[in-house]
Amino acid sequence: MKRLTLLILALFALALAVACEGDDEEGGTVATIQDRGELLCGVKQTQPLFGFKEADGSVVGFDIEFCKAIAAAVLKNANAVEYVDASDASTRFELLADETIDVLIRTTTITASRDRELEVDFAQTTFYTGQGFAVRKDSGYDTTSDMAEATICVQTGTTTEQNVADHFTDIGLTYDPKGGLSADVADAFFSGRCDVLTADASDLASRIAVRPDAADYKILPQIISKEPLAPGVRDNESEWKDVVNWVVHGLIAAEELGITQANVAGMAANPPGTEIARLLGVPFEGGSVSTLGFDSVDAQFIQRAIAAVGNYGEIYARTIGDNIPRACTLNALAIDKSVDCPAGEGGILYALPYR
Amino acid sequence: MATALPPEAAPVPLIHRRRFRDFATQGVYVAITALVFAYVLVSLDLREFGFTFLNEPAAFNVANQWLVDVDGVTNSRITMYMVGVWSSVRAVMVAIALSTIVGVVVGVARLSNNWLIARLAMLFVEIFRNTPLLVQVVLVYSVFLVGMPLIENVISIGDIVFVSNRGVAIPWPVPNSGLWGAPHWFAGLWVLALLISAVVAMRARARRQELERETGVSQNANRRALILFAAGAVISYVVLGAPVWIDAPIVSGTHYAEGMTIEPEFAALVIGLTLYTGSFIAEVVRAGIQALPRGQTEAANAVGLSAYQRLTLVILPQALRQIIPSVTNQYLNVNKNSSLAYAVLYDDLFRVATIVQNKAGHALEMFFVIIVTYMAISFLLSAVMNFFNSRVTVHEV
Amino acid sequence: MAAGMPAQPQQRRIVLPPHRQRAGRPWSVKAREWVRRNLFPSRSGTILTFVALAIIGVLLAGMIWFVFIDADWRVITANRWLLFAGAFPREEAWRLWVSMAFVFTLIGLTYGTWSSLGGKDHFFIAVAGVFVVFLMAHGGAALWSSLWFVVAIGMLYAGYYATVWMPRETSARRTLQVRIVGGLLIAALPIALMLLLAFGGGQMRRLDGFVLNLVLAPVGIAGGLVVAIPLAIGRASSMKAISWTCTTYIEVVRGAPLLGWLFVALFILDDVFPGELIVRAMVVMAVFTGAYMAESIRGALQALPRGQYEAAHSVGLTRLQALRLIILPQALRISIPPIVGQAIAIWKDTTLVTVILPLRELKGNADAAIAQFEFTPFRLEAYVFVALVFWAVAFMMSRISQRLERTLGVGER
Repeated sequence: MKRLTLLILALFALALAVACEGDDEEGGTVATIQDRGELLCGVKQTQPLFGFKEADGSVVGFDIEFCKAIAAAVLKNANAVEYVDASDASTRFELLADETIDVLIRTTTITASRDRELEVDFAQTTFYTGQGFAVRKDSGYDTTSDMAEATICVQTGTTTEQNVADHFTDIGLTYDPKGGLSADVADAFFSGRCDVLTADASDLASRIAVRPDAADYKILPQIISKEPLAPGVRDNESEWKDVVNWVVHGLIAAEELGITQANVAGMAANPPGTEIARLLGVPFEGGSVSTLGFDSVDAQFIQRAIAAVGNYGEIYARTIGDNIPRACTLNALAIDKSVDCPAGEGGILYALPYR
Repeated sequence: MATALPPEAAPVPLIHRRRFRDFATQGVYVAITALVFAYVLVSLDLREFGFTFLNEPAAFNVANQWLVDVDGVTNSRITMYMVGVWSSVRAVMVAIALSTIVGVVVGVARLSNNWLIARLAMLFVEIFRNTPLLVQVVLVYSVFLVGMPLIENVISIGDIVFVSNRGVAIPWPVPNSGLWGAPHWFAGLWVLALLISAVVAMRARARRQELERETGVSQNANRRALILFAAGAVISYVVLGAPVWIDAPIVSGTHYAEGMTIEPEFAALVIGLTLYTGSFIAEVVRAGIQALPRGQTEAANAVGLSAYQRLTLVILPQALRQIIPSVTNQYLNVNKNSSLAYAVLYDDLFRVATIVQNKAGHALEMFFVIIVTYMAISFLLSAVMNFFNSRVTVHEV
Repeated sequence: MAAGMPAQPQQRRIVLPPHRQRAGRPWSVKAREWVRRNLFPSRSGTILTFVALAIIGVLLAGMIWFVFIDADWRVITANRWLLFAGAFPREEAWRLWVSMAFVFTLIGLTYGTWSSLGGKDHFFIAVAGVFVVFLMAHGGAALWSSLWFVVAIGMLYAGYYATVWMPRETSARRTLQVRIVGGLLIAALPIALMLLLAFGGGQMRRLDGFVLNLVLAPVGIAGGLVVAIPLAIGRASSMKAISWTCTTYIEVVRGAPLLGWLFVALFILDDVFPGELIVRAMVVMAVFTGAYMAESIRGALQALPRGQYEAAHSVGLTRLQALRLIILPQALRISIPPIVGQAIAIWKDTTLVTVILPLRELKGNADAAIAQFEFTPFRLEAYVFVALVFWAVAFMMSRISQRLERTLGVGER
């Protein structure tokens, strides 16, 4: 009996050891990720187009592509990503702070108060949008001033919750709020529980566009805030933030420079100019060899990211596509189109010079 | 015999003395506990510990307000939290009342002689006791969202009750300016008058029953009490100038006005809690009744009581002694389980607390606030139940 | 009523024939009598029967209408894998199957050692098997993927009949068998965890979907027992410092809902002992359920007659020996029903990790399934399915506990 007890205890200990293996915290986040061999990416799992779980358990969407790009850059393997559910806006920053995730790519708005008070730093914006209002076409609402006493569904724990409270105070109206998880409030709106759904215009558009009865809904041309959605990393981890930041810039730059998933290999072998050569981290004949990598990430990291997921335009076309058309005009901020086009084409995406 | 003992027992070594060992064990135990506690305190970052963040403006709104109207832009976080507490308490009170009714009915039905009724009751218990409450709550909420009509196609029951997926609107008493323009606080006076008449009527009933026991002559105690209460209610109502009026709901645009709206979120939470807790209370009631000796039923039959009288006069009063402690436990569970409002857009105290935490950090303080609130409500509930227990149960002499 | 009294004609009397004659009567008469006694005993009884029939009719009609006509179950069939294992890597799926076969074999062994499978059990297993095979076959998946479940059921029966057919005429053999199966049972959790995770199986956080429920609940139950036994003894202890801290611990833990403690796991516990969130969640579930189990065990300790303590003392056992050999075995036996109740509660409570933690168990993945845009209208179907799955397991647990009570003679002296 004694021996049996000992055996069982040993088994428990072994199981515990297996359960807790790995993850000792030496060096920065980049080193941790490379030791682990996996990127822990906090994403939404219930928003169409941006991040949602498919029937086979895999997660797909616009945000997911950036996780893959970062994994390709840091780990040389776009599939070495573990997607952690950060759908609940109220707890997402905590996941970042307690190192359950390495990076939060979850339609999160950059705000000063988050930057200052929470343990989060933001990299380059991946999607520019603003807060809008979705209503049924036959509802008779054309602006927020029509919405006195309306029931408004809003995701809790978000900037939109605060914006809508401020906005209705400004216009002197009261409303009946219904708060919850993003997917839950959307369900409530589409089943007629609420008159109005307010969220990022991209969020509204993504949820409406995929519905069979999309024509019954409209997004009001009134945008009450700026919502730049950006990847979040922990405070004071400058190398890791730089990597995330420059992967995003690199993907935007790739679109400006015409580097695609298809031609990146060819361009890397035979770069047409110094700028492209520097971006892809390859030598250019006659020019100096660029070595713009980081301590633990070599200079070809952007090249790998592009090879894995394509440039920004390709990501956009593949995941969002015509569901939210790229209007390529700054005025588009006011409607259900996105302004996420390169600066040269009238959009506001602007890759910082990579040199 | 006594001489067989050694003449002088050697002193027991200190280490073998019970009191010393107890003392030493506790000393070691306290030291270890203190170390663990100290480790926890050191690991938690307590430099910014404090509750002042609760006084800052909330900057969020809280849904499902009833009898209060608080906006989050001008009010503080603690005010919004109290609104959440009120929402929780409301749901808990209604769920406790309903689940008690459901539990007693189903528990009694499980022991019915009627095979079908007993089977139905068992089915009820087995279904709702073995399903997660969370799933029940979201299921009921889904039925509201998907199964009920849009407010444009609202179901009207005689223009008095309206049903749609915005909730159920029912008539509700509201303060009224009445016959000669009485101020609204007259409604409060009337409620007070109602309470006083109720107390007077109960006392009269007790006196009459006493008399009945002494003289053996029926005094119609219940009828007299009822008449007394009704008279008090009507007279005060007239004197105060009809201070309360029942308001029928109307549908205005896409929302209800007047009357009272039972919102789907509230309904889902309360119905879920009622079914779940009701199935547990049913088992408690059944066990309580089954624990009584069979002779009680037979004796009640022998003196010619009807089945209803047998239940209300003989069985339940005696079973209560065993039932009340377990039911109190279930009530405390209702209180804690009301936190599942988080899953159905109902802004209870737990959700408001998480919103505050999300805005301000201070998780430790917020948890402290949460647990103190739940414990306070639990304490009140058990105090009420203990009082009830001491008053109602049959004491063995 | 005395035998000699004249029968009153207006009073309907049921005259029962003598016992032996009654036994020999045809079944139709017996059935009629049963119906009359159980369904139509009196006028009010008859009304009740019709009310019950009406309720049953409405429920049955509604259920049939919903299940076969109104509902669209593609949301389940298309998302089978998501609901079952979610993000658990597909290529590691064999681990799931092997652990399932292991657990099923163990169930068979347990039944064979301490109990027996009756007609109802065979029926339940058959229904579950047909249901799973149907679910797999439906919606165009490869039928062979349900083969694993059939194999697991086969293992259950193999384990069962292996023990049933094992010669156990000697008590020594019987003891050996009990020891082996009991040991396996206690070691089942670490073995299953290792099958799932060890040697490149990935991290705890890979556990997802229904598999997560299946891991969380046993961990919570086993951990809860480990926490509960010392707590209960401590609370009943005569040493003030110990009983006081144990009481405080139990009351504080029971003071807040599990969601509150999961909030602690997420926001506060990471400072005290960093580690994976799922491990913290497991710790919290064990600590939480342990406090409730401790109360059950304490009740049992108090229910033991004082004579037991005194008898143990008088035969010269030390306090620890008395506890281990006399008190605990009896107390644990008495507290089996409430502990199983607690186990069922924690099984249902595993759904709560979805609510504020980023862990996605069955209900959480059902949320993800109805977030897929082709399935958004089918939330009722998804949640009904989830409810059914949880119900089946909880119901099975309560049945096993009833069996256990009978076998171990709980409530008997």
